[in-house]
Amino acid sequence: MPALLELKAISKTFPGVRALDNVSFDVNPGEVHALLGENGAGKSTLIKIISGVYRPDGGEMLVDGQPVQFTNPGQAQAIGIATIYQELGLYPELTVAENIFMGHMPRTALGSLDWKTAQARSRELLDTLEATELDVRARVGTLNVGNRQRVEIAKALSRNARLLILDEPTAALTSRDVDQLFNIVRKLRERGVGLIYISHRLEEVFELADRVTVLRDGQYISTRPVSEVTEPELIRAMVGRTLDNLYPKLDTTPGEVVLRVRDLHRRPATRGVSFEMRAGEIVGLAGLVGSGRSEMAQVLFGFLPADSGTIEVFGKPASIKSPSDAMRLGIAYIPEDRQRQGLITPMTVRENSSLAVLRQMVRGPFIDRGGEVSLAHSSVKQLDIRTPGIEQLVRNLSGGNQQKIVIAKWLASKPKFLIVDEPTRGIDVGAKAEIHRLLSSLAAQGLAILMISSDLPEVLGMSDRILVMRQGRLVAEYSRAEATQEKIVGAAMTEGVSAVAEVPTP
Amino acid sequence: MSTLTVSRQLRAPNPFLILLNSQEAVLVIALVVVTLFVTALNPRFLEFGNISDILSNCAYVAVAAIGTTMVIVSGNIDISMGSALGVCATIAGTLSVNNVPIPLVFLLTVLAGGLIGLANGFLVAYLRIPAIVVTLGMSSILKGGLIIATQGKWIYNMPPGFALSQGNLAGIPNPVWIMFILIAGFWLYLRYTAQGREVYAVGGNTEAARLSGINTRRVILRVFILNGLLVGVASILFATKFSSIQSNVPSGYELLVITSAVIGGVSILGGTGSVIGALLGAIFLETTRTSLPFIQIGGQPVRAEWFQAIQGTLILLAILIDIARRRRMR
Amino acid sequence: MQTVNDANKLRPAPPEEKSGVGPRLRKVLFAQESILALILLLIVLLLATQSDRFLTTRNLLNQTRFFTETALIALPMTLIIITGGIDLSVGSTLALSAVMLGFSWKFWGLPLELAVAVCLLTGIVAGLFNGLVIVYLKVPPLIVTLATLAIYRGFSFGISQSQSVTSFPEGFAIWGSGDVGGIPTQLIILVIATLIVGVVLARTPFGRYIYAIGNNELGARFAGINVNRVKLLIYTFAGFMAGVAGFIFTSRVLTTRADAATGVELDVIAAVVLGGTSIFGGSGSILGTILGVLIIQLLRNGLQLAGVTGDSTVIVIGFVLIAALLINNALRRRTVAR
Repeated sequence: MPALLELKAISKTFPGVRALDNVSFDVNPGEVHALLGENGAGKSTLIKIISGVYRPDGGEMLVDGQPVQFTNPGQAQAIGIATIYQELGLYPELTVAENIFMGHMPRTALGSLDWKTAQARSRELLDTLEATELDVRARVGTLNVGNRQRVEIAKALSRNARLLILDEPTAALTSRDVDQLFNIVRKLRERGVGLIYISHRLEEVFELADRVTVLRDGQYISTRPVSEVTEPELIRAMVGRTLDNLYPKLDTTPGEVVLRVRDLHRRPATRGVSFEMRAGEIVGLAGLVGSGRSEMAQVLFGFLPADSGTIEVFGKPASIKSPSDAMRLGIAYIPEDRQRQGLITPMTVRENSSLAVLRQMVRGPFIDRGGEVSLAHSSVKQLDIRTPGIEQLVRNLSGGNQQKIVIAKWLASKPKFLIVDEPTRGIDVGAKAEIHRLLSSLAAQGLAILMISSDLPEVLGMSDRILVMRQGRLVAEYSRAEATQEKIVGAAMTEGVSAVAEVPTP
Repeated sequence: MSTLTVSRQLRAPNPFLILLNSQEAVLVIALVVVTLFVTALNPRFLEFGNISDILSNCAYVAVAAIGTTMVIVSGNIDISMGSALGVCATIAGTLSVNNVPIPLVFLLTVLAGGLIGLANGFLVAYLRIPAIVVTLGMSSILKGGLIIATQGKWIYNMPPGFALSQGNLAGIPNPVWIMFILIAGFWLYLRYTAQGREVYAVGGNTEAARLSGINTRRVILRVFILNGLLVGVASILFATKFSSIQSNVPSGYELLVITSAVIGGVSILGGTGSVIGALLGAIFLETTRTSLPFIQIGGQPVRAEWFQAIQGTLILLAILIDIARRRRMR
Repeated sequence: MQTVNDANKLRPAPPEEKSGVGPRLRKVLFAQESILALILLLIVLLLATQSDRFLTTRNLLNQTRFFTETALIALPMTLIIITGGIDLSVGSTLALSAVMLGFSWKFWGLPLELAVAVCLLTGIVAGLFNGLVIVYLKVPPLIVTLATLAIYRGFSFGISQSQSVTSFPEGFAIWGSGDVGGIPTQLIILVIATLIVGVVLARTPFGRYIYAIGNNELGARFAGINVNRVKLLIYTFAGFMAGVAGFIFTSRVLTTRADAATGVELDVIAAVVLGGTSIFGGSGSILGTILGVLIIQLLRNGLQLAGVTGDSTVIVIGFVLIAALLINNALRRRTVAR
């Protein structure tokens, strides 16, 4: 019997990035096939190719042994390939039954929509998913995340999906919902549905999956039956690489404690986080996407309000209710998404670099144009930003240079604390090294830097200390000397990893 | 298994709360309350002739409110209805005094409305210009054009068959018949046809609608055309009420229609709403308006001028309630 | 070994920006404002040939009286639309302020100066209410101001009972009908207001913040800009200017009418959009808005001179608005730049 889905030597390149390189992958009917890999390993690109959102540049895809080429997602859906989202595809004001059958409602003999049948069939579908208490006439907007997910699954089943793709399905679920999801997955498997399961939680892989495939940096690494691998083996497969010496970290002796966070709470993402930072120190904050690192950073920056907890700056308690408060205390935050959060891309280099300090760059009521121009020039020079001029629109610059402008913008405010969120994501190697050099020299000048990063070599190469967050809590802390990739990934991903020593939360 | 957290959906639903959740039910209750209140103050309010008058008078608002409901549900808005009404009414009058057969007059009037809707819909759906500014511009083009075309002259002496609104069938005024038939027809359309449901999809989550293969542009165009046709019908109801047709457009009409829809449960953010609610909204507003002279405050009846302020407050309240409801959902 | 998040080496280098006078001159010449100025000039010439009454100082100065109220409101409306918002309630606010002026003077017996203060205060409160609902209740501006358009107009009718207040004292007319050294009073007020708002928008941090919010509100918040405060200020300012316009209007026509300025939001929005401000926010200028106001007024004047009655000239504005939007749309698709 041919595999339900088979990918052979699939490649996909985006401008400047080789997202997938010669990847092979297959799924059998009645199988749960887990897909593992770090952020940026290529999992989501692979999924998008399977569901018809992208077209591969090379290789071929076969469904039931027949070659297929999708030009749009509709075609994949028609063959029975469905991706389960949590929110995106639902209509909050419409009922569960209508969401399930939107676009293919059953009709009566007269040609009108047959609500009764739609509701009855929805009921049946939901019952097979053991969602018996879910009212098919409820508005989807009133449902919690777990139930919305069930509606999405029912929707896929209503179109006779034979291959279901679940991308991080348990990320926002309660443990009861997770159990129910597992039951559903097992039931579907029994019925012969093929499932691709992406998750960062290794315990889920071992509990649910039949086979597991690991991708790393766009390359296919291995596919093994779950019964034949161990956790440490998987982790090594995901991260195993030689560490280049890209990290010009200057050795500094950290000074006194300048920032102390105690018991910071902000539902639902941050749960009781406590840590300290010293002058001249780079603290790496590792963890999976969704572990709450950015939220916590945004609370520190005053962008999000905290529910409870204390922050002490230079030994004095601080009340940070807005970014201006944070800025006044010398805290600067370089956000994750430089295009949407970090910059105003239709504006020029000059305008962006002065934006954070514009209030001070004035002569009387007017903007000090001369001061602004010289600030822009000195930023360009200091950070070696490659731009034809300071009047160039930021959207025309490369990622690395854009990131430098974000940094320049905040450096202009002469901060004492710098929080950088994914400082080198999507940036070429050359610019990466420059930014690392810059961060090191800033630390050497006495700044305390909190570096949030999903790039493990970066975390290991740059940090004096490494904190690991998982699901809103700080679960581990390692010094520069004792940290390894496996330890960090282990702490970030699993409940209790046997092969590593874990430092209890302070 | 945790006994502490019982899923909300497991508890038997409270029937009273369900009823209260339905905007239509609230409106019916409000309507009854207002009617009883005013009748208590002045029993003359509840004579049959009065009820018949109220329904008849709000017909031209209710019919347009059907179209507005669809436009708003699809995520857009139309504020050109007043001008369109005036233009179509003038067309109807002009055709009739030129001895065009009455059925043809009505047909052409409705089509004229549809044409206006087509223009609006095309600009919004295919040229991607926000509906508010398209209909703002269209409104003034129609208004100015009307004055230029009529030279300020009113139209008189329409043939006897023209006075549709003034007649009745089996004791019920014609406008009421037309209103109820159209409401029923469009209720069926929006509830029982795929085309009708697509309007809700486009307004509720445009991206999802597009991804599931719905032609969002065509849906929006269709909605505006239907709205235009309905305004054409409404203009007939309006024009045939009196023995003359003015050359200026009725002011505040579009606001009246939009308010009817919004207090009837149509969410101004799109995605939800029903024509039944819009009908109830129109009836409620008309009842409120006619009840003003019967209500005494400080020895003086409430002046009619306050009606617009009441209207505005109602629409703001309805909007705030809707937004609060959505926040609670998330 | 390279990581995945790799080279932008493959991306072409950003286009070289030429420096020097030539390209800069070209940029100025093709800016929307220049084109508008040119159109304005053409219309002036056209109208001058059509009627010899047109190009007299007297007529031109007199014309300015008619567009001042629109222009005053167009100033804050420019700011609002640049931030991606809109305010439909300005006409109603104007009427309400005017009604309150008459009402407080006649029925509360306030001295005229205080009545004018009440008028301005009404505008401020109306605008502030809009701003508060937009910022703190997070209702989209279109929707709030659609509701307040009805509420404020309704209150105008209710408070005035459809009766106009007339019989203002002699001197009151100076604001709307008088002049200072031959120049209409309101024109002086308009020029001052235009200069102030224009300079604020183009040269102060506040103005830069407005552009930032219109281009990327989230990015503006992350940069530490107090977006809420900016929004509150511009909507309140719009209410205030509507109040000023209401005051000048009353002084000009010497009567307070509850149905005053119905449709002024159309004039204002058309002028702003014609002036180059994108309805989607992020770009625009005061100069462009003023040119837009002038062009529209001249078109109206021209129609009137050709014998078209006053009320119907509104058709021109509708066409101008839609045409301006279409052009704006087409240009937006073409260029990447602001």
